[in-house]
Amino acid sequence: MASTACFMIVSRNDIPIYEAEVGTALKKEDAAHQHQFILHAALDIVQDLAWTTSAMFLKAIDRFNDLVVSVYVTAGHTRLMLLHDSRNDDGIKSFFQEVHELYIKILLNPLYLPGSRITSSHFDTKVRALARKYL
Amino acid sequence: MQGSKIFPTCFQTHLKSKLYSLLLHLKFCHHGFNFSTRSLHRQVSFSDHEAFDHPVACLLVVSSKDEDPINKFVDLFNTNQLPSLLNDGAMDPKILKHYLLVHDNQDGMSENTTKILAAMRSTFGSNDCRLLCINSSEDGLVEHQENPWVPHKTDASPSQHLGCFLNIDDLDEIKNVMQDLSSKHIIPHMEQKIRVLNQQVSATRKGFRNQIKNLWWRKGKDDTPDNSNGLMYTFSSIESQIRVLADYAFMLRDYELALSNYRLLSTDYKLDKAWKRYAGVQEMMGLTYFMMDQLRKDAESCMENAFNTYLKMGPPGQQNATRCGLWWVEMLKTRYQYKEAASVYFRISGEEPLHSAVMLEQASYCYLFSKPPMLRKYGFHLVLSGDLYKKCDQIKHAIRTYRGALSVFKGTTWSHIKDHVHFHIGKWYAFLGMFDVAIKHMLEVLACIHQSKMTQELFLRDFLQVVQKTGKMFEVLRLQLPVIDIPSLKVVFEDHRTYASPTAISVRESIWRSLEEDITPSWSTVKTNWLESQPRLLSKKYKESNVCVAGEAIKVDIGFKNPLQISISISNVSLICEHSAKSDEMVPDASSTTTAHLNDEEKRKPTTSGELSSDASSFTLSEVDISLEGGEKVVAQLTVTPRVEGMLKIIGVRWKLSGSIIGFYNFESDLVKKKVANGRRKTKQPMSDNLKFIVIKSLPKLEGFIQQLPKTVYTGDLRRLALELRNPSETSVRNIKMKISHPRFLNIGNEEVMDMGIPACLEKKAKFVQSDAHTRINKVSDTVFLYSEDTLIHGGTPFLWPIWLRAAVPGNISLYIIIYYEMEDISTVMRYRTLRMHYNVEVLPSLDVSFQISPCPSRLQEFLVWMDVVNRTHSESFQVHQLSSVGNEWKISLLQPIEAIFPSEFLMAGQALSFFFKLKNGRKSVTTEDNVSSPAPLEGTDVRLGHGSNEELFDISRSPLADFHHFERVHQRMSDQEHPHKVDFILISRPRRSDSDPGLNSSVNLFSHHACHFSIANASPIWWLMDGPRIMHHNFTASFCEIRLRMTIRNSSDAIASIRISTFDSIPGGSPLSDATSVPPGNQAGWHDISLLNDIKVTSEVLGTRVGKSQLAECASPFIWSGSSSTRVKLEPMSTIELPLQICVFSPGTYDLSNYNLHWNLLFSDDEGNRGAGIRESSGTCTGHPYNLTVLQSA
Repeated sequence: MASTACFMIVSRNDIPIYEAEVGTALKKEDAAHQHQFILHAALDIVQDLAWTTSAMFLKAIDRFNDLVVSVYVTAGHTRLMLLHDSRNDDGIKSFFQEVHELYIKILLNPLYLPGSRITSSHFDTKVRALARKYL
Repeated sequence: MQGSKIFPTCFQTHLKSKLYSLLLHLKFCHHGFNFSTRSLHRQVSFSDHEAFDHPVACLLVVSSKDEDPINKFVDLFNTNQLPSLLNDGAMDPKILKHYLLVHDNQDGMSENTTKILAAMRSTFGSNDCRLLCINSSEDGLVEHQENPWVPHKTDASPSQHLGCFLNIDDLDEIKNVMQDLSSKHIIPHMEQKIRVLNQQVSATRKGFRNQIKNLWWRKGKDDTPDNSNGLMYTFSSIESQIRVLADYAFMLRDYELALSNYRLLSTDYKLDKAWKRYAGVQEMMGLTYFMMDQLRKDAESCMENAFNTYLKMGPPGQQNATRCGLWWVEMLKTRYQYKEAASVYFRISGEEPLHSAVMLEQASYCYLFSKPPMLRKYGFHLVLSGDLYKKCDQIKHAIRTYRGALSVFKGTTWSHIKDHVHFHIGKWYAFLGMFDVAIKHMLEVLACIHQSKMTQELFLRDFLQVVQKTGKMFEVLRLQLPVIDIPSLKVVFEDHRTYASPTAISVRESIWRSLEEDITPSWSTVKTNWLESQPRLLSKKYKESNVCVAGEAIKVDIGFKNPLQISISISNVSLICEHSAKSDEMVPDASSTTTAHLNDEEKRKPTTSGELSSDASSFTLSEVDISLEGGEKVVAQLTVTPRVEGMLKIIGVRWKLSGSIIGFYNFESDLVKKKVANGRRKTKQPMSDNLKFIVIKSLPKLEGFIQQLPKTVYTGDLRRLALELRNPSETSVRNIKMKISHPRFLNIGNEEVMDMGIPACLEKKAKFVQSDAHTRINKVSDTVFLYSEDTLIHGGTPFLWPIWLRAAVPGNISLYIIIYYEMEDISTVMRYRTLRMHYNVEVLPSLDVSFQISPCPSRLQEFLVWMDVVNRTHSESFQVHQLSSVGNEWKISLLQPIEAIFPSEFLMAGQALSFFFKLKNGRKSVTTEDNVSSPAPLEGTDVRLGHGSNEELFDISRSPLADFHHFERVHQRMSDQEHPHKVDFILISRPRRSDSDPGLNSSVNLFSHHACHFSIANASPIWWLMDGPRIMHHNFTASFCEIRLRMTIRNSSDAIASIRISTFDSIPGGSPLSDATSVPPGNQAGWHDISLLNDIKVTSEVLGTRVGKSQLAECASPFIWSGSSSTRVKLEPMSTIELPLQICVFSPGTYDLSNYNLHWNLLFSDDEGNRGAGIRESSGTCTGHPYNLTVLQSA
């Protein structure tokens, strides 16, 4: 498992709807905003790249120092973004695919308004379990 | 004036001008950056590893005023004054020299100058010497449009009045000299040198043979230690020569030549591992490629190569790397590759914070210029650079970059980003002392729910510190701490509706209104007639807006929520209100003139109305201090009490956070629909009207409560309570009416009951006068009570009135009481008010009483009553006191003495008990009008169930019991049709008196259980009873026996019944009725086996004869009905008739005389028949009751 990893789901309107620090490293106080900054800036790259490929998994698209941003874009242009410091493309791909399934299940919930924050604790535990499994 | 380097400067300015023109596009200030790049270039020039900056020519200038100009010229190029690079062999010291004599015309034209020039020409050669005359202006007042040195020397201060003696000719002359120098001397010199060098290089390096030799020669040098930094290559070495050749070619724009030589050189240097030189050559190759504008890839790869090589060298190569990177960036920018340029900038930024801050800022601008603009990257890099600026205490630069970033991050939902930017920018502004802006930014981060507790504390602490440093009270509209929960906003005011308790407020308005309906006058009736002296028609205005009374508080409930995990304290929470005197159109009276002077002082801006009640004479505000724990929500009740008439408007709420900053909230600005307690207003009304109140003159207001109302009672508990009404004002109120929502639970008592205890008022008195005439209340209907006219309440004296409470059914009961009263003073706008009281009572189950009634088989009009009593409580035990049947129709008595069936006297918790009673119709007169259900004349018969005979029985016809019984009857009514054959019971019990305090609650509690409408009617309306002898003695030897019987028939229906009695001597075999008689199938005849052991003692000989006769029974009936086999009678309603019957018995035995049928048919009159047909049967057939007759042979 990566020592630093920050997973985030960004809605079509660039609003973060889910975020989780899934790294094993001790959480630093200023890391949260730094991770947000990096992921936020990486959206610029995603915006360019998303339309150049038909694949959903865009691989590592941006980096900042030793942190790499991997992105998975769903058909609805929701972006699953992972900031990580390990190189494990296959694991990340499986992680994204499984989280995508979970996200679809969330979308199927008639009480969930697409684009709103995902507050389901079940989703949270599942995502963290997947992160432990694949990253 | 030493090493001139005219051409290198030319080139540099060429590229730089591109840079400038690009950067000028930026609206951001870049002066600092340009300046720093230029000084960087200056600093890294003249290095030993490249020949680009090496001097080509030297211009030696001496003034004509000098004493010995010739020597001075020689002196100037003295070796010990030359730069070290020239001396230690890195540069070629034999460079082109040019001698210039400058003459100042202000000193006058002298021959001396020409002489010196002649001497110079003779000494240095005539070609290389010149004379320049300057300052030929006479007055020295030539104004130049601009400083002529501006393009070349920016650091000259503009205040110095430079060149004021230069006239236009002088400037031309200077230009001429310089042009002459470059075109006639320098360029030819360089061309010459290129030719020479090119020949040399071709001779030594070009050609296959030379290359082999060179390669072999370099291989041989591999063993020598790498000393690339040492002076391995002097100017005379072939590599330096090639470099000079290439550089000269580059300067003269022969890029092909330059490139081929650079290539040659780079392989050499690479083989020699002379990295710095290699990098320098690569850098130049990149530039050459760029200038040729071909092979972009090559240009970039060369630049990258050079950059990386410089970086590999570590700190000494840093500056060169930077320069190289900047060239590279400029190349990319020229090709509009901003994104790549930004990444190069990012690579340039190294360890040193200020340096990288500048580079990152540049990178961010590149992201801004890229197409499409990458704003998020722009913001991110600005923030990164701002952080670095802050690290080297460049606060202003940091703020500048953050403000740039803010334009991107404004309103972002990325919470951490927003918090970071706002918090830091706020902190830095505070550092600079700009507290206003600082606070504005800090306010943004206060409600940071997502942050950790520590961060929240940090934010709040820093914010409060900043606020304290300002030393001022800040007033902030929409302060985010705490969060105001607008949906919880609730305004409670009392117009004609007043509330006794807070629970009454929360009751829905519709409940109150439905209760109030029949006691309050409708609006139209308020107008009364047109003759009224003061036509106080309520203006439309009053109806539409809210009315409140001066001196009575308007309560506003506002929820404050602390979103943070840390606790915060807010103080001085109060409402912001605005009071204005009435305008003329609203009140037709002249009263407006008296209040007009208040108008000005009350018209204050909402924001300035922060001053509290001290000065605001027209209203009083309450203040509340709250401390909110993390995540806590507190509803604060704030009040405003208007003091004078006029218009009062609630504008908002204000509070002080942590004693240092004042927050405001304006209700009006919020468009959220608010739930307001009083639902009278229409939804279409705007919010502002909901918070606007018309204040009217103060009115009396009743306060009321019920004394000693218990929270929890057991079912059936009957107790007396007191309603206390109080009117604090001196003006009295009159015409008081009261309405109770649940008369089954709560009933009004008589005044004299007030002083009596429970048993006392219920005990049977021998002579009891119904004192209804004297009572001061009138019951208008079941639930409305009208106090007599002379009941006036005023001056704060309490007015007590008894109220009976009886817990009728278990459950949670909400009791609503409305008291209506009118003002004594009729000149007020409001004629009446209502007081609304609300109480919740929890009723627990106590005794379950059930009755079952079955007709007594042996007696006409008598019934057996089976009463089951179960104690459902967990701990209480009850003493069953008495059972009363209501009405004088029925007499009730115990079947067995009470001591026998109920020895313990107390019914313990969970215990069940059955009682049996005999019920007898005691009514003598048979009248039909008795079946009206009137509550008042209740007279009953009672059975004492208690052991102590000294206890008085309670009179169930007395007021509370009778009243409650009436409501129970109404409630328990099953069908709309009243049936006379119904009986009601009241069971009165008392809880067990505890031995410890016998005096206290002995007289308080009484339980009454009412059970109503028990039907005693049979399925058929016809009753009959056979009457006659049971045992006969007859001498059968003489004759057969004739026995007379009587049948009593009663028609209990309200219609005429036609009855036919048909007797038959043998029971018809196929008749379905035969089953009902329970005759054993073997005995088809009239008599049959009776188990003799059961009831009748029969002698043995009788048994013998009977058995003997039993064989006869098959052929002959043992008895026959004599007389007509069918009798038909007509029976009036509710009447009884007696019919004689006769049988003949031929032998002794026991006979069952049930072989007859009774056919009845009700003859309704037309309307009755239609009405009752569906409910009751109109005809039927009954088989006879068993009647056993024993006939014995007499002796």
